Amino acid sequence: MIGFFQLYVTHWEDWWPDLRDAAGNTLLLTLCAFAIALLVGLLLALAKLSRSGLISRSATVFIEIMRGVPTLVILFILYFGIVPIGITLDAFVASILGLGIHAGAYVAEIFRGGIQSIHRGQREAAVAVGMTPLQSLRYIILPQAVAVMLPPLINMLVLVLKDTSVCSLVAAPEIMLRAKDLASTYFQPLHLYVLAGVMYFGMAWPLSLLARVWARRRGRGRRV
Amino acid sequence: MFAAALLGGAVVTIQITLGAFLLAFLLGLLLAVIDSMRVMLLRALVATYVEVFRNVPALTLLFIIYFGLAQVGIRLQPIPAAIIGLGLGGGAVLTEVFRAAFRALHQGQREAALAVGMTPMMAIRHIILPQAWRVVLPPLGNYAVALLKETSVASAIAAPEIMFYARQLVTRTFETPLVYAMTSLLYLAMTVPMAHVVWRLEQRRRWA
Repeated sequence: MIGFFQLYVTHWEDWWPDLRDAAGNTLLLTLCAFAIALLVGLLLALAKLSRSGLISRSATVFIEIMRGVPTLVILFILYFGIVPIGITLDAFVASILGLGIHAGAYVAEIFRGGIQSIHRGQREAAVAVGMTPLQSLRYIILPQAVAVMLPPLINMLVLVLKDTSVCSLVAAPEIMLRAKDLASTYFQPLHLYVLAGVMYFGMAWPLSLLARVWARRRGRGRRV
Repeated sequence: MFAAALLGGAVVTIQITLGAFLLAFLLGLLLAVIDSMRVMLLRALVATYVEVFRNVPALTLLFIIYFGLAQVGIRLQPIPAAIIGLGLGGGAVLTEVFRAAFRALHQGQREAALAVGMTPMMAIRHIILPQAWRVVLPPLGNYAVALLKETSVASAIAAPEIMFYARQLVTRTFETPLVYAMTSLLYLAMTVPMAHVVWRLEQRRRWA
């Protein structure tokens, strides 16, 4: 058992700089993909709530497809699949787009659920005191909806963070790719993949805790 | 030719999904029951398990189990390794699902069962589980859909599932767009009906 940890001490200076840089890339990938997911999610949610049947139905179909296909397939389509039609994306860009669009479909449902969770009376009351629909959205609906949406959004962020590991399969330079390279150089796969797991845990756990604390604080005194 | 190879992969995808689901289900139920016994030490162990496995990517777990364990002499075949890796991760997800379901039932149910002389195990078996079942079905279905999609990462440890064959077909035929379009359709053919069933279950629960 002690021998197991000793190996980390011996190799720390060989491994850590590479993995630390890769962790930076993982975080960058996560944040960029999540920003895209928020944007895509907002557009899809608005499209889905639209009065036009065609727009709302297209959004529904798009969401269903994105939720029904693995992230890996979407990444492979963006990275390898559209090369023959003349579009070549960098691995990092393809990863950001792939993860972002995929997560966007889930974020859309979070947004929609959040907005619909606010009782109609709130909107009617806002309109009754003379607010325009946009004002009622801005001052009445959104402030309440955001509180509902925040815990699932943070959970989504954790999912995106974990999903970035898949980007190693299109050779985006993140933690798993570095761990794989190092494992084939030093022949210590167990140590390196466990270390990778610890690094993911170190990034994801605080976020998971945050989501739970937030949800609990909001839930207090509300649940019937 | 494409279709035959991909369908062969679909069989393995389904095998891995079923195997991992069964493992996750049993593990989740076991851990949730242990958690409901209210012993501090056991609860802490369950919580640790859930936190660790919920916050580590599936791919990392698969690599630890497939490549990492081989280093200490435990050599698993790709399919069992995928089932174990995905199942262990899923166990953490389903522990939370079962735990939430147990909690959703009114505390009085358990107390009443104990008051009429049932043991805690009997209360779980005859009172809690039959009611929790209905609460638990939609999240179980959602997990099954997510799991089926997640099996695609098993291609990275050479488990011969859909993505594994898709990648092979691409290197052999260079028909990249066609192969991945068919791959997507194949996944959709499985996940969309599953998602539809989950949706129906959720609707039914809302009316009940």
